[in-house]
Amino acid sequence: MIWSIALAVSIGSVMPAAGQPQQQTSADSDDQERLQVPAQFDRASATRGQSILAANCGFCHGTNGRGGAGGPDLTRSPLVQEDVEGRQIGELLKTGRPGQGMPSFAQLREAEVKDIATFLHSQIYLNSDRRLYTIGNILVGDPKRGQSIFDSPGGCASCHSVENDLKGIGARFDPVALQRRILLPRAGSQIGVGPGGGKTGYLDPNALQATITTHVGRYQGRLVRLSDFNITIFDPVSGATRSFTRSGNEPAVTISDPLKAHVDRLYQWNDRDLHDVTAYLAGFK
Amino acid sequence: MIGKLFFSVIVLACGPALAQPGPGLDPKDIGKAPVDMWTTYNGDYSGRRFSTLKQINQDSVKQLSLAWVYRLNFGEVGAITGGEGAAPVAATPSIKSVPLMVDGVLYFSAPDHAWAVDARTGRERWHYFWKTTGGIHIGNRGVGIYKNWLYFLTPDDYLVSLDAATGKERWHKQIANVRREYFSTMAPVVIGDKLLISPGGDSLDVPGFVEARNPETGDVIWRWYTTPRKGDPALATWPSEESAIAGAGHAWLPGSYDPELGLYYVGTGNPNPVLAGQSRNGDNLWTCSIVALDINTGKLRWSYQVSPHDTHDFDAVQDVVLIDGLYKGKPRKLLAQANRTGNFFLLDRVTGEHLLTTPLVQGLNWFKGYSANGQPMRDPGKDPTVPGVLVSPFSSGTTNWPPATFSPKSGLFYVGANESFSLFYLTDTDARPQGYGAAEQSVGVVKSSLKAIDYQTGKIVWERSLGKGPSGPQSIGAMGLLSTAGGLVFGNDGVGDFVGYRDTDGQPLWHADLGVNSSNGPTTYMLDGKQYVLVGAGDAIYAFALQ
Repeated sequence: MIWSIALAVSIGSVMPAAGQPQQQTSADSDDQERLQVPAQFDRASATRGQSILAANCGFCHGTNGRGGAGGPDLTRSPLVQEDVEGRQIGELLKTGRPGQGMPSFAQLREAEVKDIATFLHSQIYLNSDRRLYTIGNILVGDPKRGQSIFDSPGGCASCHSVENDLKGIGARFDPVALQRRILLPRAGSQIGVGPGGGKTGYLDPNALQATITTHVGRYQGRLVRLSDFNITIFDPVSGATRSFTRSGNEPAVTISDPLKAHVDRLYQWNDRDLHDVTAYLAGFK
Repeated sequence: MIGKLFFSVIVLACGPALAQPGPGLDPKDIGKAPVDMWTTYNGDYSGRRFSTLKQINQDSVKQLSLAWVYRLNFGEVGAITGGEGAAPVAATPSIKSVPLMVDGVLYFSAPDHAWAVDARTGRERWHYFWKTTGGIHIGNRGVGIYKNWLYFLTPDDYLVSLDAATGKERWHKQIANVRREYFSTMAPVVIGDKLLISPGGDSLDVPGFVEARNPETGDVIWRWYTTPRKGDPALATWPSEESAIAGAGHAWLPGSYDPELGLYYVGTGNPNPVLAGQSRNGDNLWTCSIVALDINTGKLRWSYQVSPHDTHDFDAVQDVVLIDGLYKGKPRKLLAQANRTGNFFLLDRVTGEHLLTTPLVQGLNWFKGYSANGQPMRDPGKDPTVPGVLVSPFSSGTTNWPPATFSPKSGLFYVGANESFSLFYLTDTDARPQGYGAAEQSVGVVKSSLKAIDYQTGKIVWERSLGKGPSGPQSIGAMGLLSTAGGLVFGNDGVGDFVGYRDTDGQPLWHADLGVNSSNGPTTYMLDGKQYVLVGAGDAIYAFALQ
């Protein structure tokens, strides 16, 4: 919906080890240990709450509370979402909703109601915070086919070798980071002028290269910033930056991208090929 | 201590004079072409963001110079405070709000804050500080004005009414519950005796709606849900009423209005769950749609869906631009939008009839061609999967909420756009996914440019690449724009310059390096015979005038 959130999703920090199964549907599982509970919730209470809910509410509302045969999704219920520490949920459980076929659960103790509430609120929180989402096993591709794509004429092997620059690549990056880097191996691809983008991106050897030709001479370096009005470059040898004023085509400026082949290929990739190449490279540990 | 005393004395001394309320803004004046006022988010009701002023023009723009700067003051000292929360939260120092200008005073907002600033001097008149109970503090797009009253929405979903002269609170009303992850950013729209508002927030699967409220009391006059309910034929585009109710579609930007037709036009947001579509088979009306609502009743007159069954967080929540112009040689009432899907749409705004769709950029891969009605037909192979799919554009879209502009002088529609890619990973494989249900990893923006489109054909007449940094484009291209009868288009260059472009070919004729990109829609007005151009960039508002 709003871009700064989308860009803020930090996938690396929640990355599971390669091959680790997804945990999103763990509430369906019998393995209580796998219940994912955000840090600010009482884990023991949520785990108990899941069992109590499954036993008492699961028949109608599903064992994970997301709705079942007849009952609505509890994690989407306004009453549950607006509930504070089980108070509103507890009041409803006392009476039930006889008109809608929901019996009373007055036998549930206050502590049990609170556990159910903790479980539901923890799951609602997990649903709502994308930073807590867990990416599953992405190594589903065919490594052999990946190798043939890698080695095909004009393919990755034109510039790369699994024995040289990509040696041990599967150990250097987890599969999700690796798949991202196959597409575009540039650290500073975050958007926005400022840290991580404009200010430090030029430390990356894969930064755009600029050549500036003035009547005095020719200057080359990594691009720091280019506008219609000026250009700044960085010399990785001396560590110095230098700026030039631009006016129309003076001085002459040429920009080249060391990753042009990657950028061009973004428009060509199909997902099966990408998964296959990821599976192939992930094997080099 | 001394400072405080001094301040009190000044307030006391000035109090009686300032306390006399002026005549206020006649609601009939709202929506008139912006000349000596700027009374709505986009200046008038058309969404064009076009000014007839031409003191600043292609020749004189070189003399455009800084008149003043106002840096957002988030401090509690001296502020009028309100709100339901206990303590203030950290400010969001990026101005997305468009300042309204009435009688020489500017009114604008940020999450939890509203200000009045002197339009001649840039000095603060008052500051209102809302103590929040929570909510996502991502932005606030501005205030609405009715007579002497201002209105703004808060991240914790309150509608707050202030006295424009003093900043004192008149009342506040809860419009949604923040515990359900609603948060509100929209600038309220005043139309006659109605105040139009909508909340936002798609972290959870909650209902979306547009409301008309009474500007005096804040009471609801009508409410239109952005998804159908029982008995509506459109419910056939959802598996169940429950899925439709949970289907969001928040209309979180101010809409446009045609007084002759009595129709309010607004774009609706993405369906929920956002990226995992497996529990909501069907087109999911009226999400991702341009809708026309009867201003008196709130009834839907027509709708046009720009991305049926969206699975990439695209939406139609972009500037809805009303154009009165020729189409195929005949004068028509038109409606144009360039949106997140990567397409430019032109509709007949009387009937909703589709006239044309054209792609804004290369590389869009989430759809395979267009339907007979011009709708991009989603490629199900690009729905998020566990091992990931590469999608263009990324979820922020080819363009986004920063408002486009249409100049009747040049006949061109201007918009900032990008070519971008993201990997989408399905994380919630449950048959009943919740929230977003998938993660996104941005690969990057490959191109960003300012584009000028012939609205009659949808063809790009010119485009100008934005500036670059070490990794290529440094902005997503989307930017707030303003066009003027002086033959200028004001926007940014993606690397921190505020630029006056020539409207016919995109040549930059003037610029000011603000260090960061402009972050709101620029405005312009005449005050004391002088034309001002205003823009917000980061935590400051800059005013420019000719020297």
